[in-house]
Amino acid sequence: MKVDLYNYIKAAQKMNRRQMLKGSAALGAVAMMPQGALSDGHSNVRAEILKIPGVGAGSPTDSDWQKVGKMCLGATKGNVAEGEFDGVELTFMGLNNQNLHNFLFRGFLKPWEAYTGAKINWIDLAQGDYNARLQQSIATGTVDFDIIEMGAPFEGDVLGKGLASEMPEWVKEQIDMDDYVDYLKAPVGTWGGKTYRVSIDGDCHTFAYRKDYFGPGSITGRDVPTTWQEINEVSKELIGKEDPLTGLPAHGYLDPLKGWGGFGFYFLENRASAYAKHPNSPAWLFEPDTMKPMVNNPAWVQAIQDVMDLIEAGAYPTDQINADPGTTAFQQFLAGTGSMLSWWGDVGSSARTSDTSVVGDVVGFGINPASDRVYNAKAGAWEETRNEAPNMAYIGWGVYVMARVDGDEKKKKAAWSAAAHLGGKDLSLWASAYPSGFQPYRNSHFQYEEWEEAGYDREYVEDYLGSNADSYNHPNAAIEPRIPGIFQYYSVAEDELAKGYAGQYSSAQETADAIAAAWEKITDQIGRDSQISVYKASLGM
Amino acid sequence: MNTVGDLLHTVTADNISDGRKRLGKSLVWGSALLCVSLAVLQAAYQADHISIGFETWRPILYAYMLWATALCFAQVIVNGEKGKRTLFVLPAALFVISLVVFPLLFALYISFTDWNLASPNGPQPNGWDNLVQMWNDSFYWNALKNMVYYVLVVGVEYVIAFGLALLLNAQIRARKFFRVVFLLPLMLSPVAVSWMIGKSMFEVRFGPVSRLIREFGGEPTFFGNPEIARFMIMAMDAWTFIPFMMIMLLAGLQALPREVLEASKVDGASGWQSFKEIVFPLMLPVSVTAVVIRIIFKLKLADVIINVTSGGPGGATDSVTSFIFREYRDRSNVGYGTLLAMVYLVLIIIFVTLLLKLVSRWMERPA
Repeated sequence: MKVDLYNYIKAAQKMNRRQMLKGSAALGAVAMMPQGALSDGHSNVRAEILKIPGVGAGSPTDSDWQKVGKMCLGATKGNVAEGEFDGVELTFMGLNNQNLHNFLFRGFLKPWEAYTGAKINWIDLAQGDYNARLQQSIATGTVDFDIIEMGAPFEGDVLGKGLASEMPEWVKEQIDMDDYVDYLKAPVGTWGGKTYRVSIDGDCHTFAYRKDYFGPGSITGRDVPTTWQEINEVSKELIGKEDPLTGLPAHGYLDPLKGWGGFGFYFLENRASAYAKHPNSPAWLFEPDTMKPMVNNPAWVQAIQDVMDLIEAGAYPTDQINADPGTTAFQQFLAGTGSMLSWWGDVGSSARTSDTSVVGDVVGFGINPASDRVYNAKAGAWEETRNEAPNMAYIGWGVYVMARVDGDEKKKKAAWSAAAHLGGKDLSLWASAYPSGFQPYRNSHFQYEEWEEAGYDREYVEDYLGSNADSYNHPNAAIEPRIPGIFQYYSVAEDELAKGYAGQYSSAQETADAIAAAWEKITDQIGRDSQISVYKASLGM
Repeated sequence: MNTVGDLLHTVTADNISDGRKRLGKSLVWGSALLCVSLAVLQAAYQADHISIGFETWRPILYAYMLWATALCFAQVIVNGEKGKRTLFVLPAALFVISLVVFPLLFALYISFTDWNLASPNGPQPNGWDNLVQMWNDSFYWNALKNMVYYVLVVGVEYVIAFGLALLLNAQIRARKFFRVVFLLPLMLSPVAVSWMIGKSMFEVRFGPVSRLIREFGGEPTFFGNPEIARFMIMAMDAWTFIPFMMIMLLAGLQALPREVLEASKVDGASGWQSFKEIVFPLMLPVSVTAVVIRIIFKLKLADVIINVTSGGPGGATDSVTSFIFREYRDRSNVGYGTLLAMVYLVLIIIFVTLLLKLVSRWMERPA
């Protein structure tokens, strides 16, 4: 191969040398294959599954999930013989949000069960119940599941206590971990140098907005806001206007004001990261040497104040105080209420492919808004410079196998095979393109032409995927720490925030102080020294 | 055969030897000693004072069950026929003690620890810290204040339930149909009510009630304003449980002696006089029972609140139970959450005891 050609392909595909050689070898092998075999090839599977059911053909159903699961069994068949897991029973714990997550896994794994002979029992949890159920299982020594759908923030709780099974080498090869976007590679999914996680999702919050609200002749007549300051201005200007799509009152940015089992705190983080995540330090939640909360520093207080200002102005929809993040995304934004939202990337795929979405044709995307100024916690002063810090909220769902299967080789292989099937390269492409609860997380998910084949138009998909890619690759991305009890911190914070938003505290500062006091207490309960060391490790310090 | 004591209930003669009695007692004391010794050893092992112990406390549970079985056997061995009679009650009593007293004692211990589920050290005693925290926790007191409102509303519910019971007791058309219809809300789970009514009917954007209000030019708000949100919770809970009071009162009305009511009519009493002088006083014992049971139900109010408002806005709808639920579940703050539950238990016991004492005066009939 010519050197300039080699360099060009490497740059265009963001490949390293090893991947390139693998690709070349594969290409050589494919060239030697008979024509008939090519028709069943890998890329064909990707194209075929993306047509199920096709954009604009309504939400996928269980039969679609089963079809996709069956068509993606190729990798499993390479490592597992038919009927190899006869008699094996596994218990899988995951979510049932919006009829996604476990609902899809059931469909995806049904053909896997039929092929391998294993049987899976399911534990379905609502998002708000997830943290509590997991913590209770850990604390009381009653881990009653073999496989768990879990986010990286819980790795401190689970991997740190030796409760998970180490990933075998054959799984790493089956799921092609080199294809993960950079921020999902180690240390995410690892603990003490060992790998435990099959990624099925990559998380970051991105900014979604209604195009019909912005631009010349629109009801705002303004460009799309790119800073939180502009967002608050626009949200206030929209009071009293009419939504061009629904005819109901127009609204600006949608902050969820009610908790969501800890997950609601990410939405204040969206605002706060732009103010608080200074490029000079990865720390923005706690001071690394002391675990002293930063949540009551001027940057966070400003973020809380922004929300309080919009409440005061009456800029939110009625009863917003009772709206959790699920409500803001699925019952408000996708249903035509409100014009701006920060959420996980699956809002993008749902906007076009979910039956309940009415905004598919008017939705645009970008990375989370910036701030006109940033707080330098080291210097203890504001700096009047523009700062972007997209929030890598939750670092994505993964599938983990619990250590309790380690004593039984057959069961262990079955559990890892199921996990690898769910985290397979092809299956994950489908999951990122259709409503699933998951967003793109592999470099191969960003091949726009594949999305076009599913029926997305190029402009939309570049907009949506671009916002994800830009967030993942942002040099000042705000990464959350994988420390034990992280969701207790979040949970208590959203509880205190709800009180502050309802006027129970006299100011944003007092609300932030209440959160900080509660966080200090949690740190003391869990153990300050151990938290400091884990926190530093998770930040790479 | 015994010739003294309770001869009426004596079936067979019991000539129990001293040796048999010794055997029975040694069984009980031996198994008790085993249980206590194992418990002490296990406690020492857990506290790292000794190196030999069990992985879990399960063997101590087995030793306790052995002791309980030995105790039952010993009743017959030591007391013969009389012991057999004891066996009718003893297993049930032991069962209750095991499932109520032990967990209560454990909870009492937990409530004086700083147990956070994520803590690697498990529960660590922290003295009076949780009590001090509770004393300074304005949101717990706020939840207690809300409970006062919620309990007071039982009075209104009682009036409505009584009215409905009177209606359904009257000779109206399709009476049986209405009785079933009015009972339907009681058959629904409060969780279903939360979703069907609170999160669907009253959904502020697309809920049918909201649409209706918009049709009339209003802007609906159901859970955004503290007072309205609290009222909505009260209304949903009342809608579910008024039928319960109604059915009790209806049963009471149907059991009223007809002669007295007819006599009052003959004497020329008006409807109101008949109700005031005869029906209401005669219904007082049933009324008091219905209200007391309803109050006890009300003190446990949580499911509707948890599902619809999570206690918001700003704790305006929090009940003590929903507050404890969040403290315990979301924050995994087991020690403090348990203390709050224990304090609430004590408050409930005091309140219900006083309530029963008070109502017993009204329920006393002249000799």
